[in-house]
Amino acid sequence: MLRIVVGIKWVPNTTSVNIDPKTGTLIREGIPSVVNPHDLEAVEMALRLRDEYGGRVTAITMSPPSARAGLEHVLGMGVDDAVLVSDRAFAGADTLATSYVLAKVIERLGYDLIVFGQETIDSSTAHVGAQVASWLDIPYVYYVTHARLEGGRLIVRRSLENVRETYELELPALISVAMHTLHPRRVRLSHKLRAKLESPIETWTNRELGLEPDCIGLKGSPTALSKIEMIPKVPRKNEIFRGDPREAAKWLVDKLIEEGLLEV
Amino acid sequence: MKEVGYKFDVIVVGAGPAGSAAAYTLAKKGFKVLLVERGRVPGSKNVFGGRVYADPVGEVFDGLDGAPIHRWVTRERISLVSGGEMSSFEFRGSKRTSFTTYLTELAGWMARKVEEAGGVVLTEITVDGLVVEGGRVTGIRVGDERLTSDVVIDAEGINRLLLERAGLVPKLSVRHTGLGVKEVIKLQRDRLEDLFGLEGDEGMAWLMLGDVTDGLPGGAFLYTNRDSVSLGLVIALGDAVKEVGRHVSRYVEALRLHPLLRRYLRDGRIMEYSAHLVPEYTWPDLPHLLYTDGLLVAGDAAGLLLNLGYNFRGVDFAAYSGYLAARAVERAHEMGGMTSENLAIYRDLLEESFVLRQLRKFRRAPRMRENRRLYGAYPGLVNAIMDQLFNSPYETPKVMEALRRAREGRIGWLEMVRDLLEMVRSV
Repeated sequence: MLRIVVGIKWVPNTTSVNIDPKTGTLIREGIPSVVNPHDLEAVEMALRLRDEYGGRVTAITMSPPSARAGLEHVLGMGVDDAVLVSDRAFAGADTLATSYVLAKVIERLGYDLIVFGQETIDSSTAHVGAQVASWLDIPYVYYVTHARLEGGRLIVRRSLENVRETYELELPALISVAMHTLHPRRVRLSHKLRAKLESPIETWTNRELGLEPDCIGLKGSPTALSKIEMIPKVPRKNEIFRGDPREAAKWLVDKLIEEGLLEV
Repeated sequence: MKEVGYKFDVIVVGAGPAGSAAAYTLAKKGFKVLLVERGRVPGSKNVFGGRVYADPVGEVFDGLDGAPIHRWVTRERISLVSGGEMSSFEFRGSKRTSFTTYLTELAGWMARKVEEAGGVVLTEITVDGLVVEGGRVTGIRVGDERLTSDVVIDAEGINRLLLERAGLVPKLSVRHTGLGVKEVIKLQRDRLEDLFGLEGDEGMAWLMLGDVTDGLPGGAFLYTNRDSVSLGLVIALGDAVKEVGRHVSRYVEALRLHPLLRRYLRDGRIMEYSAHLVPEYTWPDLPHLLYTDGLLVAGDAAGLLLNLGYNFRGVDFAAYSGYLAARAVERAHEMGGMTSENLAIYRDLLEESFVLRQLRKFRRAPRMRENRRLYGAYPGLVNAIMDQLFNSPYETPKVMEALRRAREGRIGWLEMVRDLLEMVRSV
């Protein structure tokens, strides 16, 4: 039986996110959150493997309790059960402290394969998958587009700019799925109902995990962000010329020369 | 089709005001209730103008504790607009009867009440069809799965595709449908209060007739929320369809940029744009399907919304009809089953309630609203009279004199008398 663990993150929906122009930080008040869309592709990959080879998919997330809604969503897609790792002690974690906690959780759950999304839309570090693999000391392949089992090994394909690589991995292993490669399935009524009625979500705090306070949360986070700068929008000019196309062409060329964009 | 291995007494389709009211009422009475919603959160597919009458909603939901009330409407302003001129009538009341809110917040509150009462609320589930067996509705179909229940309450909203697909109602008619278009514009809270003369949680409802809908029959509205205004208009769908060259968003844009309105909204930031169909049925044209074997229809799906031209009643009518549908289910349960005969009590309950009494009383209102003079000739007439009364530097005319002069070339006496009579009879 293939035991698959998939990591998801509950993130502000950046299509509606505002950035505070003074501090450069995200203004998250009132912004509806979603499951990081690239993680849904990881869930899809995990579900396809389970559907093909049998086994069990467990979704995990480290987040405040509001992320339950995100876990309910992936349970609705067909994930078997879920763990919400939630404790004030974990707050303020950078990617190192986050990956440490997740690695410990996964270790406790037991696993053959761990699947992550390529990166998150709210911070785009792509650190966590690599770091979890490193904590667990298992093989890691990223930008994965295809995966299948063959003779107890996982055959994965990754696509780079102009090459396509194939790896054979001994399990356990960790893969992160290249974004925009899989179309996440719709939620199903029966799965959603199960998620609501049979409470397949467990909540784990540090009481269950008993991790060193120095390795978690703000204390376990050596990353310091020195500065965030907003990239100013380039003001666009907009002039419309109406009239004869020949004159318009001449007008346009003159304009481009005037702006120093064309040299004669 | 796969049968889902759960069973509910009642499935309610649509977590808007009607659906949540029905689900809440039944869950409270111990029925096993499932409320399904296609949006990501309850209310995400709902649109309204901006105001809700508190009492009917409070009656249905056992009070309004924790409800997202933005402002209580204590100022009612009605304006007649022609060209760059506007005459306004304003009522400043002292009672707290209706409030402004965001419908997404209010629908979220209602759905939470359903969950607190023990109902199951599922979002992101689009019901694809009603399961009809031997002329009786026995459940819902979602993709390749079906779920059965003793009764389904259809509160799917005005675009009642489930009823159409089941062959229970004809296609929505353009004649009985309006189109609402709306923007929510954020303003600084103190600036908003200064602009509209509001204090604390006082709010304003402002209705405009005339040169604000491009001469199309319809009205424009502005409601003050906590720190934003809802600005929009409702026009007949038939008129919007004829104007195919203009996207409907342009109407609300023109409204926002109207010389008489833009001064209020200059510092505003558009937070949301929305458009939605609005039922324009009145008695006796109501779509006659309110119930059948195993099915009840509530809210917009049953056409239960009142548009008076100077006021809209949608959310409270919907919630109340959902509540009555729930009571009908309760009674039918006592009588032994969800048959058409037992559910017929729903119609009686509606008839006895303010919902159908009001729709019947104002049955002439839609006809009246089709009269284009309401949006052209009359606002022009009133403004021309005011202009003479106040802008005559030497010789102020008598009122009748001003009326006569203003009337010339605009409208005949006979027409005026006829319109006035019609107006008195309609509203």
